[in-house]
Amino acid sequence: MTLRFIHSSDLHLGKSFGAYPEAIRNRLREARHGSIARLAQAARQGGATTVLLAGDTFDAETPAPDTLRHALRAMAAEHDITWHMLPGNHDSLAASELWRRIAADGPANLRAVTTPEPIEFLPGAMLLPAPCTQRRPGRDLTEAMDAPTPAGMRRIGLGHGAVTDFSAEEGTAGIIPPDRAAISGLDYLALGDWHGRLQVGPATWYSGAPEADGFKHAMTAGALLVSPGAAVQVVETGQFIWQTLALDVLPGDDPVQQLSQALPDPTLRRDRLLRLVATGRLPLQQRAALDAHAALIGPDFGWFDHDLHGLATETRPDDLDLIDRAGALRQAAEALLSEAGDDSRTSAEREISSAALARLYAFAQENGK
Amino acid sequence: MKIRAIELTNIRRFAGRSARIEGIGDGITVLSEPNEFGKSTFFDALHALFFERHRGTRQTVKALQPHAGGAPEAAIEIDLPQGSYRIEKRWLSRPTARVLDGNGRIVAQDDEAEAWIDRLLGDGLAGPSGLLWVRQGLLGLEPEGTNANDKNERERGLGARRDLLSSVAGEIELMTGGRRLDAVLARVAEELGRLATTTLKPKAGAEWARAVDEAATLRDQEADLAGKAAGLSGDLARRTEVLRQLKQLDDPETERLRNDALTQAREAQRAALAHAEKLAEARQKLRLAELTVQATQTGIGQLEQLSDRLGRAEAELSQARDRLAKAETGAEEAAAADRLAADALGAASGQAQAIRARLDAAQRALLGRAARERATQLRKTLERAEELQRKRDQDRAQRELTAVNSASVTRAESARETRDRIAAQLEAQSVSVAIRYDGALRISADGEDIPEGSLRLSSARSFLLPGIGTMRVDPGAGAAEGLAEALTRANAELTARLAECGAATVAEARQRLAETQRLDQAMQASAALLAELAPQGLDTLRQELARAEAGAGRAEEPVEDPAGLEAALAAALAAEAEARAQSGAVHARAVTASEGRAVARSTAQVAQAAAEAARIDAGDLGQLARRLHGLRADLVLQTGLQTEAVALCQTLEAAAPDLETVQARLARAESVVTQAQQGRERLRGEYATLNGSIGALAEQGIEERLDEVRGKLTAAEARAARYAAEVQALSRLRSALEDARRKARDAYFAPVLRELEPLLSVLHPGAAMQIDDQSLLPVALTRNGQQESLDILSGGTREQIAILTRLAFARLYAHAGQSVPVILDDALVHSDDDRIEAMFTALHRVAKDQQIIVLTCRQRAFAALGGTRATAVISAI
Repeated sequence: MTLRFIHSSDLHLGKSFGAYPEAIRNRLREARHGSIARLAQAARQGGATTVLLAGDTFDAETPAPDTLRHALRAMAAEHDITWHMLPGNHDSLAASELWRRIAADGPANLRAVTTPEPIEFLPGAMLLPAPCTQRRPGRDLTEAMDAPTPAGMRRIGLGHGAVTDFSAEEGTAGIIPPDRAAISGLDYLALGDWHGRLQVGPATWYSGAPEADGFKHAMTAGALLVSPGAAVQVVETGQFIWQTLALDVLPGDDPVQQLSQALPDPTLRRDRLLRLVATGRLPLQQRAALDAHAALIGPDFGWFDHDLHGLATETRPDDLDLIDRAGALRQAAEALLSEAGDDSRTSAEREISSAALARLYAFAQENGK
Repeated sequence: MKIRAIELTNIRRFAGRSARIEGIGDGITVLSEPNEFGKSTFFDALHALFFERHRGTRQTVKALQPHAGGAPEAAIEIDLPQGSYRIEKRWLSRPTARVLDGNGRIVAQDDEAEAWIDRLLGDGLAGPSGLLWVRQGLLGLEPEGTNANDKNERERGLGARRDLLSSVAGEIELMTGGRRLDAVLARVAEELGRLATTTLKPKAGAEWARAVDEAATLRDQEADLAGKAAGLSGDLARRTEVLRQLKQLDDPETERLRNDALTQAREAQRAALAHAEKLAEARQKLRLAELTVQATQTGIGQLEQLSDRLGRAEAELSQARDRLAKAETGAEEAAAADRLAADALGAASGQAQAIRARLDAAQRALLGRAARERATQLRKTLERAEELQRKRDQDRAQRELTAVNSASVTRAESARETRDRIAAQLEAQSVSVAIRYDGALRISADGEDIPEGSLRLSSARSFLLPGIGTMRVDPGAGAAEGLAEALTRANAELTARLAECGAATVAEARQRLAETQRLDQAMQASAALLAELAPQGLDTLRQELARAEAGAGRAEEPVEDPAGLEAALAAALAAEAEARAQSGAVHARAVTASEGRAVARSTAQVAQAAAEAARIDAGDLGQLARRLHGLRADLVLQTGLQTEAVALCQTLEAAAPDLETVQARLARAESVVTQAQQGRERLRGEYATLNGSIGALAEQGIEERLDEVRGKLTAAEARAARYAAEVQALSRLRSALEDARRKARDAYFAPVLRELEPLLSVLHPGAAMQIDDQSLLPVALTRNGQQESLDILSGGTREQIAILTRLAFARLYAHAGQSVPVILDDALVHSDDDRIEAMFTALHRVAKDQQIIVLTCRQRAFAALGGTRATAVISAI
């Protein structure tokens, strides 16, 4: 019988997305809940009956009762799937109340992996877990994966934490050695914590979150269908796409056209969060046009934001002519333009002047020539 | 353009005539003529020539027509760069307009002539007249009336100024942005007003303020939820720790170790206590041995002392007996001498005592006599005092009975005088009726017969005259009735006052008063005498008498002379003293001898008793020696036992455990067990409490809410920051626009100000003008750092500024290649002498390259202006 399972992590159920408007926030939360069913479906389609959740299934140590209950019920509903849930740093063993409730209310097909003792999770396969004891345990918990297992059994490691410290200096305590799989003789090491999919070694993977939760990882969210000895397969499970669209433009470009070409089909925009980051330089007119077009297409998306701070305004005399050819309006425009390009001023002051110039252009256009 | 001549025909007062001004120069030309000459007619005709079409029939044209009617005509001869020209216009009747060149050839006629004039005036400029002409009495910079002419004049002037400034400085719309800038500024204000207050603070209810408020609210919520989340996290950590501690306490191996430690501590305590008992027993035996040795040693010492004491007692007894025999002999001899001396003393004392008794009797007799004399004296004084006392009491009683004072008597006398005065008045008003009867009949009144005699009537009274009738006698109506009533009241008053005095009459009252005064004096005299006789009262006097009578005793006369007895007594006493001294010395010696004998007897008895006691205590001397030997043998044995006991104690003490340490160890072991039990109970209680609080907070989904609030807070703060940036941008745009417009205005008006300010400084050194960008005219004057609106300046100053402004604009025209004359019609009427001189200077400053035509009726005042003098020639048509 072929050993096969789904490797996922970082569902972060209950994540609030408070910085986003109410409507998309609720949709995002619901999409995260829906990832349970999509993982189960991915397992079935891949011929697996087991899903390993490598930590951070819940976003908080004490998720709201409905968040927890809905998750447990959703897993219970997938009765042909066995869930192995490892505590991560967000839902570590320090969250004793969470794990107490899971133990009390969890379905039979859910196994909370709260101790580092090896368990036979599938016939012929031992799971060597490294549950997070604290949010910051300060030591390499995967050392427990050195534990012996019966001869002939496959050794599958399940851990949560950073292989590379993405936020601090190297050598920080608690970092999982990248060659943990080799050190501990693992056939596969399923890791969680990194929300993007990442292969660390021949048999070491971060599955990434099954549902994206930010713009950090420019990839389609999904899970991994693992069969040790065979190639790991990526299974897409994400509902929402978080996209950062970088638009680098220069005078002479048609930013509106470029943007239109880069955007997805309008029918695909509802489940997409798009952040437009424009860089480069544009004359006032094109900048205003881009700004207006961005405002026009924004409602197509589940969420849309455009950041033009990185877009410098290149203003030539002809551009200022669009405000006025002479007189006080022209003088004001020239003064603002001068300030916007004055390196002796702070960047904040330059931004204010640049924004003031953009407003002047817009207001001047409203009043015609 | 320079005007050289003006000619009017059939205009107003020049009906049927022509009037021509000639000799107009390049600089200042003055036409000085008296009032009613028609200077303003020239001015108006010239104005019409330039600005009224020849076919025009407006009032301004009709106003040129003389009363006699006819067509008014005006002509002007001018020099232009291209040559000399004559312009003619005729209005109302056969109107025509013509322009002729210097050779008299018609250059243009009628409408073409009008177009030629327009080009002359305009040529890009709308016309200088409204700008440069100063009408008679004009104070302001432009006509202020509301009629059509004034409006047209203002519009024309504004157009001219706008054209002029545009030609020298550019279009004002272009310079200041005009309506577009206004619209942009309005949009900026609108956007700012939508978000912020005038001080650029978030506007209540607007988006920015809502974002700021929302952020503040979320910040509070975030703090609250963060606190709860931290509490929950702390509770979770604590519960984990509690569970760990409970697990540790409940560990069987740990508990067994605790119990074993307790058992061992208790066993050690029992062993230590048993050892301590053994040690105490050994110490008791040692003490007993020590006491036994000590008792034996004491017995030996006592027996040795007893033997010594017996020897000493026998020797002392022998000595005491010898001293007693000697004392007995001396005492008997001293007693015999003492008896003899006592007898001699008794005899001397008896003699002295007898003499003293006789002297006492003589002295008592003398004292009794003096006491009797004192008693007699006191008795007499007491009798006198008691007599005075009785008399004073009687006087006091009498005084109380006759009590009256001088005021009461005075009131009674006053009442009597009143009564007597009224009675006298009544008597004076009464009539006297004399009655004498001749027969039996009697006159009666009030039922009673009136006896003969005189009868006085003080009031009316009726008499019955038998057989005759009634006679009424009336002393006088009214007066007596009042007096009678007054008399009654006076009598009543007198009676009342006498009653106060306790008298029937005033004399009696006076007598009672005299008696009262006499009694007062008598009582005072008695009191003074009593005080003299018995200053401390009668009782004291009586007590002194009693004491004197008691001391008098019975009457005895002295039998012997006390003085002789006293001398005899002194001799007897001296003899007695000598006998007493001798007896005392002898007696002292007898007593000493007796005491020595008693001491010797006592000492002998004590020595006897001690010897007998020692004998008794010692008993048989042989037995005493045996007893002493036995005790010394016992002491050797007992000392050996004591040494053994000491060794045992030392051995036990060396091996004894520290009982305090053993007990401390037991206490610690018991404490550990107890603490484990208590800790288990406490931790279980805390665990239950933590479960409750964790469960309650976990039910609220604190962390999810906190995460949500933090997200919202981030969004709200970002939104508020965006609005703040927007407000900053708009504010910056507004200031940039205002700054640019201010600079544009300054640049726009710079040419005017450049021309105006030198002229202005002639009148107001250092002054500056502000020009309105709507009217393009000065609106305020700044002098000495203070800005003043033209509206509040004096008429003279306003007039001067109006002229200077025209001069400045005229120079601008000149700079623009359009030299036009300035025409002043009776101007400077409001200026004082100093200012007018200054204005003349200003005019000359401009006149260097500017034609100025001055029409004035003030010949003397304008004589100082100088310039060319023009003349007007009037001729018939």
